[in-house]
Amino acid sequence: MPPSRGILAVATRSSTGLPKSQWDVLPFRPAQPASFSTTACLAASGPPRKGKKAIRNLKAARQSAGRPPAPGERKALRKRVVLSNTNALEVSGLEDLDAKAIGKESSRCQMFGLPGPVVDSLRAVEAFKPTQGWRMFRSASVLWREQSIRLAQIMTDLAKLKSPETRRMVLAGEKGTGKSVMLLQAMAIAFMKKWIVINIPDAKDLTNAHTEYAPVPGTSPQQYIQRSYVANFLAQIAKANAGVLSQLQLSMQHDLSIPVQSNISLDRFADLGAKDLDLAWPIFLSLWAELTGPGRPPILFTLDNLNFIMRHSEYLGRDLKPVHAHDLSLVRHFVDHLSGARTLPNGGLVMAATTGSNKPSSPILDLAIRQSEARIQGLTGEAVPQWDPYRPGDERSLQSMADLEVFDIKGLSRDEARGILEYYAASGMLRQAVDQRLVAEKWTISGGGIIGELERGALRMRP
Amino acid sequence: MVFVFGINFPEKKMVKSALQSFYGIGPNVCTTLMARFSIHPTARLAQINAATIDSLNNELSKMTIDNDLRRQLHDRIRRLRDMGSYRGRRHAMGLPVRGQRTRTQTTTAKKLNKIERRG
Repeated sequence: MPPSRGILAVATRSSTGLPKSQWDVLPFRPAQPASFSTTACLAASGPPRKGKKAIRNLKAARQSAGRPPAPGERKALRKRVVLSNTNALEVSGLEDLDAKAIGKESSRCQMFGLPGPVVDSLRAVEAFKPTQGWRMFRSASVLWREQSIRLAQIMTDLAKLKSPETRRMVLAGEKGTGKSVMLLQAMAIAFMKKWIVINIPDAKDLTNAHTEYAPVPGTSPQQYIQRSYVANFLAQIAKANAGVLSQLQLSMQHDLSIPVQSNISLDRFADLGAKDLDLAWPIFLSLWAELTGPGRPPILFTLDNLNFIMRHSEYLGRDLKPVHAHDLSLVRHFVDHLSGARTLPNGGLVMAATTGSNKPSSPILDLAIRQSEARIQGLTGEAVPQWDPYRPGDERSLQSMADLEVFDIKGLSRDEARGILEYYAASGMLRQAVDQRLVAEKWTISGGGIIGELERGALRMRP
Repeated sequence: MVFVFGINFPEKKMVKSALQSFYGIGPNVCTTLMARFSIHPTARLAQINAATIDSLNNELSKMTIDNDLRRQLHDRIRRLRDMGSYRGRRHAMGLPVRGQRTRTQTTTAKKLNKIERRG
């Protein structure tokens, strides 16, 4: 057998596994000199030809790039909220929200711009979230959906009552249904009605052990205060409610470690606490006493991402056991109001929204929501879901959620979807004619009008 | 600059990493210490008040850590050598102590098994 034939035969047998008798059937081909080396030297295409630039080594370039980001720079970029986009078209005929239109049925399915001072206040209380799509439009506007109108009516009715009442509710719903924006709408209404708005923008910040904590001596179960969080919180309250608080003055005697001017305005009083970490919590308590004193306006007390406070926090106690979120003083203050253990003497609304994304497990909260849904449906007795007594549960969370009004937020109706799609089109972000077919398509694709999905389908993932 | 257990740390240093830089303090001991003084896991030295730093230093001085712990280890190995035990001899020779083979792969033993063991 010639050597070339031998190479072919071995190569064929190894690649196809043919039996020996069939080797002769294969056509004769001279041996191809195969390269047995795969070194970079042979694989390289040689130096670049004249007039052509060599390809830059991107990895090497990246390693030597500039200065590293300054402390806090990346977080600031991540948390940045952009509320205006000069590239988006100005929507003609877009009205600003006014106190008269908010509760009217005729404003349903319409978009309303948020007035400048309200936007500033909402920004101060961190009502806008970086994940929401505000940056795609000329100015911050909100859709007035059916539930927004109901909420506005509830707030209007609360303000009209002769004997003040505290209404408590939890906004629940799937991811992207607009729970946080509903909170924002409630805050916008409250700012326009000259209520005092106190907002805990993200409960996660309180419980994920990223801010300092200190035990309060002589408390059982042990309570903890978070000085730096509360100081920042007071600064937010003072800035957002400056219009109302600057008109109100201190009216009580408070036992504080510093002398305070007897007729100081409440926004300056809150600023005192914002500047001194040791005074932050005592001043918050004094400010709360002032705000709930006679003759003060109603309060809207809100919290987003409720799931994070219906469980143990990430903090550890001295005995190395996790601290329950309700043992953090500010969380407890909110939970007392949400559960009804404390009320707002001048009336108002205590609201919390659950989170759908990055959702920590909180079986108690899930149960409380199902129980509330069952109550709304008129179920009684054993038909109402109960906690499995053999399953270890979080008794404190269960008690705090015992009797709550749950505001279940679902997808938009088709009319509401049309309203927002028309706004997208008028802003130049959706380049299609908004007709019945498009509305039906987008509404269906977004899981029945889930507004977050609608925005993603119409704006972010456009072809 | 903040003094913790005789060492000067920059203020932006994380408490967790400052504590774990001492021989004898690992993740577990560090977590226990920080929980005892109510220091959150992402705290930096600048955020802790002077009183807490003092009590932390006081607590650290009561523990057997760093040079004390190293000395304790050396003493134990030295005791084994002085009494002429097999383990003591193997330590002195830089060979495996617990019956491992020596034909190949004694790098770790050569590196660590000494009278003045590094840790």
